Amino acid sequence: MTIHAQASERRHTAPGGPDGQSPIVVRGLTKQYGELTAVDDLTFTVTPGRVTGFLGPNGAGKTTTLRMLLGLVAPTSGTATIGDRLYADLPEPTRVVGAVLEASSAHRGRTGRNHLRAACIATGLEISRADATLEMVGLMAAADRPFKGYSLGMRQRLGIASAMLGDPDVLILDEPANGLDPEGIRWMRTLLQGLASEGRTVLVSSHLLSEMQALADEVVIVAAGRLARQGSIDDIIAPLSIGAPVQVSTPQPERLAAALRSAGATVTIPNGTALRVLGIEESLIGDLAFSVGVPVHRLYTETPDLEDAFLTLTHAEAAIR
Amino acid sequence: MKRLVHAELFKLRTTNAWWLFALAILASTVTMLVVNGINAYSLLQPFNSFVNLHSHGHAGSIPADFLAHLRQEWTAGHDGIGQAAMLYTSGQLIGVLLVCLLGIVMVTSEFYQQTATFTFLQTPRRSAVIRGKLVAALLVAGLAWLVSTVISVAAGAAFLHSQGYSTGLGHWAVDRAILLNLAAYLLWTLFGIGFGCLVRHQLAATVSATVLYLIGATAAATVFELLNTYVLNQNWVLAAQVVVPPVASTVMVSATQAFEQSPPAWVGAVVLLVWSLVAIRLGDRRLQRHDIT
Ligand SMILES: Nc1ncnc2c1ncn2[C@@H]1O[C@H](COP(=O)(O)OP(=O)(O)OP(=O)(O)O)[C@@H](O)[C@H]1O
Ligand SMILES: [Mg+2]
Repeated sequence: MTIHAQASERRHTAPGGPDGQSPIVVRGLTKQYGELTAVDDLTFTVTPGRVTGFLGPNGAGKTTTLRMLLGLVAPTSGTATIGDRLYADLPEPTRVVGAVLEASSAHRGRTGRNHLRAACIATGLEISRADATLEMVGLMAAADRPFKGYSLGMRQRLGIASAMLGDPDVLILDEPANGLDPEGIRWMRTLLQGLASEGRTVLVSSHLLSEMQALADEVVIVAAGRLARQGSIDDIIAPLSIGAPVQVSTPQPERLAAALRSAGATVTIPNGTALRVLGIEESLIGDLAFSVGVPVHRLYTETPDLEDAFLTLTHAEAAIR
Repeated sequence: MKRLVHAELFKLRTTNAWWLFALAILASTVTMLVVNGINAYSLLQPFNSFVNLHSHGHAGSIPADFLAHLRQEWTAGHDGIGQAAMLYTSGQLIGVLLVCLLGIVMVTSEFYQQTATFTFLQTPRRSAVIRGKLVAALLVAGLAWLVSTVISVAAGAAFLHSQGYSTGLGHWAVDRAILLNLAAYLLWTLFGIGFGCLVRHQLAATVSATVLYLIGATAAATVFELLNTYVLNQNWVLAAQVVVPPVASTVMVSATQAFEQSPPAWVGAVVLLVWSLVAIRLGDRRLQRHDIT
């Protein structure tokens, strides 16, 4: 039986409702480390059925938030629940939630296979799940080697395997792309999107914004422990697109620049044939060039990406605390 | 619960901790068996031979006070039953330290190897994890006692028989020593788990426990002697050194009085049990509050 078949079978009995949907709800979550407020009154929701990216500069409080969500760190105040329950209150947590956190490791002398088997024994899962997940993450060849010999990417894959042991409804991954090779990153993207499309809840923290843009449907952006923004990537980028600069290539830059300036645009000429135009839309520039008879070889708007949005949103608080 | 015990035993089996521990138990048992055997051999001789052994054949020329000392030693030790009890519990001296260290390492390695996150994700109820470790460690300690005892009894009985003494098995003093030895193994295991929860730093915990075990008794004797001499000259002050765990352990297992003012054996057992339970209780509470980062 495939993992996914098992999943849909089990879905009926999973907590969080008859369809097994387990949203993550974080409410007023706060963690104080002495003077430092690592997480500051954070509120957001992660809905099932989509991949949610969890973004923020170094030290923003992502890992701390995930650890509170998983019952490893006690919040100073606020709550974080999975399918309406605290992680610690889930009767069989690994069958509901799979998690990979940074600074989580295996015993250096234990083999990857035995690492997973120990988890199966402790949680009452079939021992064969160890091999099934090893196969799934492509770690079979190294299964019987001690963990201390694993490369960073292999460790990351072992972590993902351990998260998948209980075939969970919810996946929480802290920088899983860290150390993965391009093939591994693509594999993980396919995996996570596949899992989300089955109705599972997927929350992934990452620094790799271009990867996040390809992977996530929605993002939660935190800065200095506070929520900076939550929404779909398109919604977050859209406001930044208004008034975005347009690049134009033309053999007669001076003529076009003059025409654009008289239409009210701000124009710079970075090099011989290119113009950078602000304050006037792409289509209007095309029309204007046509009306003054200047040929245009290339015309495009510098669409902001997630990285631009991220830097704009977190700029004020990006400094490491 | 059964799952957690099983998992802890599996975790032990899948690292080198397993055979290192087994090797240490075997090596220490055999070493102490040889030491105790040599000792028993000389003490079980008739007094003249005993003196000869100690004076390398110059029995006639030894000073009277040394002779008196030898006489005293021989009288105390020239006892087949006492030597049987000693021989059959040869593994104890190092063995109880080893099971204590096993308990410590089972807890502290979760932090040292950074597996605590993984473990507590599977079992968020941290007390359950500790209980699982406790039961697993007790089982292993019981096994260590069994192996050590089987070796010691087999070799010791053969030796006593060869010396013309009874094996002493079935004699209450001997059986009692063997059973109290088991109690010592189990209590020190409890203590190790509790100590590990309290002092999560692996090196700090193992080193301080070893120091406590090895020099605790001597240090206690010195300190309480000084207290008795300069502060409060009462017999119970000296008896009170039983509060130090290694002293309690000795008091518990001693066939005769461990030291002059020593309280009865059960006091030692109770003290050791109380220490272990307090350590586990406090360690468990500390662990509940600890942020796993
Ligand atoms: N155990 C701790 N004790 C004290 N301060 C801590 C502890 N854990 C985290 N912090 C602080 O809390 C803040 C948030 O840390 P956290 O690890 O959650 O950030 P992050 O968003 O995961 O960062 P990164 O992107 O670098 O992984 C940091 O300033 C960090 O120094
Ligand atoms: Mg982090």
